Amino acid sequence: MNSVEVLYNSVMLAIKGVSIEVPYGGMVALLGSNGAGKSTTLKAISGLLSAERGKVSRGEIRFDGRVIGDNPPQQRVGLGICHVIEGRRVFEHLTPDENLEAAAPMSLSRTRVASEKARIYDYFPRLAERKSSLAGYLSGGEQQMLAIGRALMTQPRLLMLDEPSLGLAPFLVAEIFEIIKRINRDHGLSVLLVEQNALAALDIVSRGYLIENGRVVMHDTAERLKANSDIQEFYLGGSQAKSFHDIKHYRRRKRWLS
Amino acid sequence: MDIAYVSELAVNGALTGLLYSLFALGLVLIYKSSSVPNLAQGALTMLAAYVVLALSRQLGFPLWLAIAVTTIIMFLAGFGVEKVTLRRMAGRPIVMILMMTLGLDIFIRGSTLAVWGGTSRSMELGVSYDPLFLGPLLLSRINLAGACVAIALFVAFLLFFRTRRGIRLRAISDDYVASWSIGISVEHGVALSWGMASVVAVASAVIWGEIQGVDQSLSQLLLKGLTVAVLGGLDSIVGAILAGIVLGVIENVGSSYLDLVVGGGSRDLIVAAVLIFTVMLRPHGLFGRHDIERV
Repeated sequence: MNSVEVLYNSVMLAIKGVSIEVPYGGMVALLGSNGAGKSTTLKAISGLLSAERGKVSRGEIRFDGRVIGDNPPQQRVGLGICHVIEGRRVFEHLTPDENLEAAAPMSLSRTRVASEKARIYDYFPRLAERKSSLAGYLSGGEQQMLAIGRALMTQPRLLMLDEPSLGLAPFLVAEIFEIIKRINRDHGLSVLLVEQNALAALDIVSRGYLIENGRVVMHDTAERLKANSDIQEFYLGGSQAKSFHDIKHYRRRKRWLS
Repeated sequence: MDIAYVSELAVNGALTGLLYSLFALGLVLIYKSSSVPNLAQGALTMLAAYVVLALSRQLGFPLWLAIAVTTIIMFLAGFGVEKVTLRRMAGRPIVMILMMTLGLDIFIRGSTLAVWGGTSRSMELGVSYDPLFLGPLLLSRINLAGACVAIALFVAFLLFFRTRRGIRLRAISDDYVASWSIGISVEHGVALSWGMASVVAVASAVIWGEIQGVDQSLSQLLLKGLTVAVLGGLDSIVGAILAGIVLGVIENVGSSYLDLVVGGGSRDLIVAAVLIFTVMLRPHGLFGRHDIERV
């Protein structure tokens, strides 16, 4: 996507000219603090902005060389973009099995749906164990797995994950990230990962973007981002204590960067 | 008090109750996908009855063909009503959508009154009115036939909600943003449920039109249907069936005793009392789903 701006309710400018690029089969992270515009960026790509009265007011979004700015969300899913929205949002009154079934495209034959389900249960064996209890009663980690599995049922080529680690125990985060990496490797699926948990995210992606106040302020490979002193201090839970003077210094740097 | 008399009242009440359930099914279908109680369902039912009559009397269709054509017309009408009036309301406060369905109700009732007038017509379904005895019980044939139709439709819809398309509709009612995110066309799903509710309206229009004649009072079924739907939990088909039977039995048995005391007209009182107590004591009804809270 290229210098995209998003307006909410025609007044509030949530992101101001964000340009990001996800290569085929690549894994990219979008980092930043609360309210920086990460989720808005994902919604602009998936088309879910319209559910919140937001709209892309400038810039263009391309997928596979095609401008998709005007397509409604269900068409974008058809093209192969799937957005795992923040907070898991599984269908609580459906069983995990039905959750997966609901996400299968109508064009998929019954046998294909069964084999796709089997593939997902293979990635997430925990889901297979609980496939006929209501999804609302699954644990947080299982719900996140279900949300990802459900997204995979749509046969995506670009999977966008919004804070998959939110509220999960570290060992579960590690498990889920490991699976995401495996899927990326096995199927050449492109992944755009939004995270506040920068440490976990930078471990599995190849490139990262840092967003602040609706702008991309930094863009580099994962290794170089991890090594960057500002990132280390503010997003990776910096090692040495600093005085408030230096925060002022960071402010100055930020302004210069944007 | 005579056991045979009470059981006759109860059985006939249950049969009538199933017909309330049939009406309530239309409400449940729409509520399931869009979480809106459709206040225009009574008017839609009445409209369906008038369309059947217009086709069979004015255009001379045989009755079965008139019903079949009406089913198609009403499906498209329901689909269209949703597209034209409700689509643009998506994301607005629920009370606005409710007002919109109320407006639709008044509009449809007004237009049927203008086109077909206020005189009562009969459906002339051809069901015999000879008494039907089941052991010692005297049953109404038309109610029995209607109850069979109702049960057939319930089974059909219960099966439908297990298919992929049906699961998608249930997904929409669960979380429409999440549904969008996995490529479900929420708009299409809601329109489909309006179409199906209008088809159900045809079934209940034909049967109720036969029972009480086709006139404006047909739209008053909304009150009983709404009571059944609320008692059953608004989004549960099984709930609507059981609630209909419960309401029918309470109403029939209760009113036959209360009428002696108050001198008639206690049926609506009982229905109103059931509605009020349900909302007060058990707002999610008998089978309504609770929001799942994890601890």
